[in-house]
Amino acid sequence: MPLELSGLTKTYGKDGSGFKLWPVDFTIETGEFFCLLGPSGCGKTTVLRLIGGFETPTGGKITLNQKDITRLPPHKRNLHTVFQRYALFPHLSIFENVAFSLRLKKVGRTEINVRVLEALRLVQIEDLKDRQTHQISGGQAQRVALARALVDRPEVLLLDEPLSALDPELRVKMREELKALCKKVGLTFIMVTHDQEEALQLSDRMAVMREGQCLQVGTPKTIYEDPVDPFVARFIGQVNEINGELFGDSPETYSLQSPLGIFRVKKNGHALTKRLNLILRPEKMRLLRQRSQVQENLIEGSICDLTYLGSRTEYTVKVKDTTFKVFEQELERLKKRKLNVGDNVYLTWRTEDAILLNTPHD
Amino acid sequence: MEPQSKSSKPIPATALVFIGWLFLMTFLPFLIILGMSFLERTPLGTISFHFSFDNYLRSFQYIYIKVLFKTVWLAFMATVSCLLIGFPVAYHLARSRGWMKQLGLILLFIPFWTNFILRIYGLVALLGNHGLINQLLMQLRLIHSPLEILYTRTGVYVGLLYNYLPFLVVPIFSSLEKLDPSLREAAFDLGANRFQVFWKVVVPNIKEGVFIGSLFVFIPMLGEYVIPDLLGGAKEAFLGNVMVSQFFVMQDWPFGSAIAGILSLLLLFTLWLQTRWSRFGNLKDGGNHA
Repeated sequence: MPLELSGLTKTYGKDGSGFKLWPVDFTIETGEFFCLLGPSGCGKTTVLRLIGGFETPTGGKITLNQKDITRLPPHKRNLHTVFQRYALFPHLSIFENVAFSLRLKKVGRTEINVRVLEALRLVQIEDLKDRQTHQISGGQAQRVALARALVDRPEVLLLDEPLSALDPELRVKMREELKALCKKVGLTFIMVTHDQEEALQLSDRMAVMREGQCLQVGTPKTIYEDPVDPFVARFIGQVNEINGELFGDSPETYSLQSPLGIFRVKKNGHALTKRLNLILRPEKMRLLRQRSQVQENLIEGSICDLTYLGSRTEYTVKVKDTTFKVFEQELERLKKRKLNVGDNVYLTWRTEDAILLNTPHD
Repeated sequence: MEPQSKSSKPIPATALVFIGWLFLMTFLPFLIILGMSFLERTPLGTISFHFSFDNYLRSFQYIYIKVLFKTVWLAFMATVSCLLIGFPVAYHLARSRGWMKQLGLILLFIPFWTNFILRIYGLVALLGNHGLINQLLMQLRLIHSPLEILYTRTGVYVGLLYNYLPFLVVPIFSSLEKLDPSLREAAFDLGANRFQVFWKVVVPNIKEGVFIGSLFVFIPMLGEYVIPDLLGGAKEAFLGNVMVSQFFVMQDWPFGSAIAGILSLLLLFTLWLQTRWSRFGNLKDGGNHA
């Protein structure tokens, strides 16, 4: 029972001068944990609010389970929203907060009791049922909000930055629990976040957005390893970039001409224009002390900074007037550091690890 | 943490000035009035220093009790009316955005840029038999003879509403402003209709603000004297007017003082109600840190 967004748009401001959400198209499968990721102001919350029914789209369609829900009010959509600051009702106890939707539906007293306790048990806060909302912690409030949204068994749960109000330690713990909860209840979870780590850890698939546009939809691995836009590459993880122009192509590879030299990149089916960005992930680059026999994909530079982080060491290498980040795994326990600040090094990478993308016009 | 800082901190000089002022200008006069209420009036209108409860006993005569109840009743009804008019105003003001909200708030407070007495005289000019409203309605041939508004109970009502409405709108407005908008959305999301959102979520969360705001207007209305005097005429006297006439018309200061004492008692009672309510609110908040 998928949730489909087709050509969904939203324009704010009477003359269209305000924020604009460009047509968004994607399908979210049942039981999927789907993240909407992007910096603030990218429109991810707008998309969530459109799905939730708190905003009316300017154009396009939303269907849930083949049923058009584009213009239905929130409660007729068979989905619930967990708000950023939980929006628990301060005048009601935890139990009554969770029971709110059931009471409105005039569900019988005994059934309410059973279902509320079941929902509270699901998020492991059964013993808090008689507390008031001001007597619980942020993490507990988060669980109450989840229980309240789950109690009347929606098909989809919408989460608006649910972890952003928690302290970092709790946030990481709640991530695992959210993921487990999603799989346990078998519902579709759609979560808005600006935290790329959160999105990578939680998502089955995610959509990366910027300035009202959905740039790419895919699994965390696709988004990280095969970004379609330099912005996506930069937003998820770290990147080194080399700007250049298309120089030539052979059946297997393209060549890129740049101020740092000519580099070969494996063809991947993207249609290329003239101006290109070569994207290299720091952990996919190698540092060599001496110039090796390999002649291609080699840049000379010098180490200007290094940080030992236990499992890896992060090097900053200066090449002409740009710098490169290189992460090297510390694979052997007693290896002496062979590189120091100031050392001359050669940077290299495997041809298939480089990503070649069109330089955006803006 | 709080009690410690209270007992150990010396009172700053600026606070002493204020406390001195309060003592000289409020507490001391009140004590004088209170003391006077237990004295007697000589036939010549001067005060004799004989201690007695006579003034208080006199206050319980039917005529004064009637005025007392009328005062409380009118103040109560005017508060309820203020609430009925003020609540929707506050509600729409809180929900409007940008310049609309700014304009609304400015309009609400513009009357306060004019002197209180002038504003009341303005109402006299509006409401009188030859006033603007009657003239206009007669010109439009909607009525044949002027409506009796001025120097009736209606006149007093209009005056009280006009003057006290903003004091009720503001506390309600601010408690609505403080209400997290996502609470309304959450209620909608969980299946409430507009009516249910209002009664099950909005009202329970702002009722404290509404109650305190109501006391805010009710308490000064009890002591009101100028509005009934200028707009109500002789028949619609409040307890305040009776008190003033005892002082300045009947020259019976001790009896006037006794009425003032009773009025003060009434005010203290409502103030006590208010603090009890807000302390209850604080206690609820205090639980947050426990």
